[in-house]
Amino acid sequence: MIRPTRTSEGVAALALALTVTALLLTSPAAALAAGSLALFLLWRGWRFERDLLAAASSLTVEREVDRTILRQGAAATVRVRAEIAAPPGMVVRIRDLPPAVAVGEGARCDPGRTATYTVRLMAPGKTAFCGVVIEASDAFFSRDLVCRGFDAPHLRVFPAGTVAAGGGTGAGAGDTEVDRKTALAGQGIRGFRPYRSGDDPGLIDWKVTARHNTYYVRQLAGLEGGAPLIAVDLPTRADGDPEVFARFSMAVYSAVEGTIGSCGGCSLLVVAGPEIVRFLPLTQDIREALATLGGLLPAEPRAPLYRAPGPVFLAARARLPGIGSSEREAVFRERLGGVLRAFAAESPAPFAAAVRAALGRTDASEVHLYSLLPAGDRSHLVQLVYEAKGLGMRVVLRAPAGAGALPGVDAVEVL
Amino acid sequence: MAADRRFLLLSAGEVLVVAAGDLVAALVLQVIVLAAFLGDLRGLPVFTVAAVLFAAVIAASGTVFLPLVGLAAALGCGYVALTLRDYRLARWAAGGEA
Repeated sequence: MIRPTRTSEGVAALALALTVTALLLTSPAAALAAGSLALFLLWRGWRFERDLLAAASSLTVEREVDRTILRQGAAATVRVRAEIAAPPGMVVRIRDLPPAVAVGEGARCDPGRTATYTVRLMAPGKTAFCGVVIEASDAFFSRDLVCRGFDAPHLRVFPAGTVAAGGGTGAGAGDTEVDRKTALAGQGIRGFRPYRSGDDPGLIDWKVTARHNTYYVRQLAGLEGGAPLIAVDLPTRADGDPEVFARFSMAVYSAVEGTIGSCGGCSLLVVAGPEIVRFLPLTQDIREALATLGGLLPAEPRAPLYRAPGPVFLAARARLPGIGSSEREAVFRERLGGVLRAFAAESPAPFAAAVRAALGRTDASEVHLYSLLPAGDRSHLVQLVYEAKGLGMRVVLRAPAGAGALPGVDAVEVL
Repeated sequence: MAADRRFLLLSAGEVLVVAAGDLVAALVLQVIVLAAFLGDLRGLPVFTVAAVLFAAVIAASGTVFLPLVGLAAALGCGYVALTLRDYRLARWAAGGEA
């Protein structure tokens, strides 16, 4: 919405003072002065909007980037030049909006002049600029208008540590160590299981399918134990040092890429507090996985005061022994245990149920949990860990140094 | 500084308008004062017509309170229209339909 300047605020105050004067003195001249000043402001606001529309219609933006295909975390130099026909009395400046996944501020430039700035693209995938902002002002009003149409050129960002596909003869060779388990001819088959939605149709075994009259897929020996599940706990915006989050997201991207490279696939689970944001059961396609992670950003939890220990914890508390306590305390503990047992049995714990269902759809024998472990509620992570343990999975927590740990994890690794 | 000086001149002009007493004289003075305050006279006739209409309403009603209440209502409608226009402009700039 348009914002008033000091001048228009002064005019409004003058109109108000004249209104009071008109009412007190019953003066038609003062009423005319007050009313005409108010009309004057409305007219100026209307004219400002009209001028801004005319200016925005005439806007053209030329943007050049030194590289349009670049690696994650690499810096790109942007040169932007905007032309706009500013109506008389209106001052216009243009601010460029870098891509959403970029670190760095866009530059301001005057119409007809070229501005140069540098951004660093932190997330892989295809991305584009977010447009430009027209910062317009006249003597009475000002307005920042976001124009999204000017998003060229489009950029392509590759994850750090990978090479672009189709890069020509020899691309990707050299000193890169490859330990991927490829599905070579003759690779052993560990067994068969019924087809589930999301499975690769190429893995359907037609002989077994015909015998049982239902779809069965092969489970390759190279994937024994299943590809690991990578679980990502998104921090809240309030937790946030952007640099720490940028390092965190890079670690997640690298882990996904590395896991698919070495294990032939992985499953992805992204949670933000007690809510599953994204879930990808099993993929061998690195692009699909990175697209699922695309644009990872801190999220506002919809249930900020969750703090639900979950049925597993309640059941454990209910079994607490009352050794060394007085008789009254023992009675109290027994009653509390009864209440907790009943609650544990009846609590639906929707997040735990959703996590259980998600874990059940993967073949994972190991969960790699990535979290910044911010201070505050971690009960959703505790539930996730215990659901994984309940399914016999090994849980490896990857968190920043000194962030602490979670009960039940098998190993902690520093990010 | 120039804006502050012009605002002081506007305030002094408004004192002159109130002191004029007569409605026609006040109207003429008000238009002159605002024209001097603005400098850029594009679209001023539109505002002048609105001011003349408001002066006519005051003269016809013979009171001060009712025309001011009516004007407040009209300004409220104008503000709503301005907000709607701004919303359409923002949507158009964001790439949606105007």
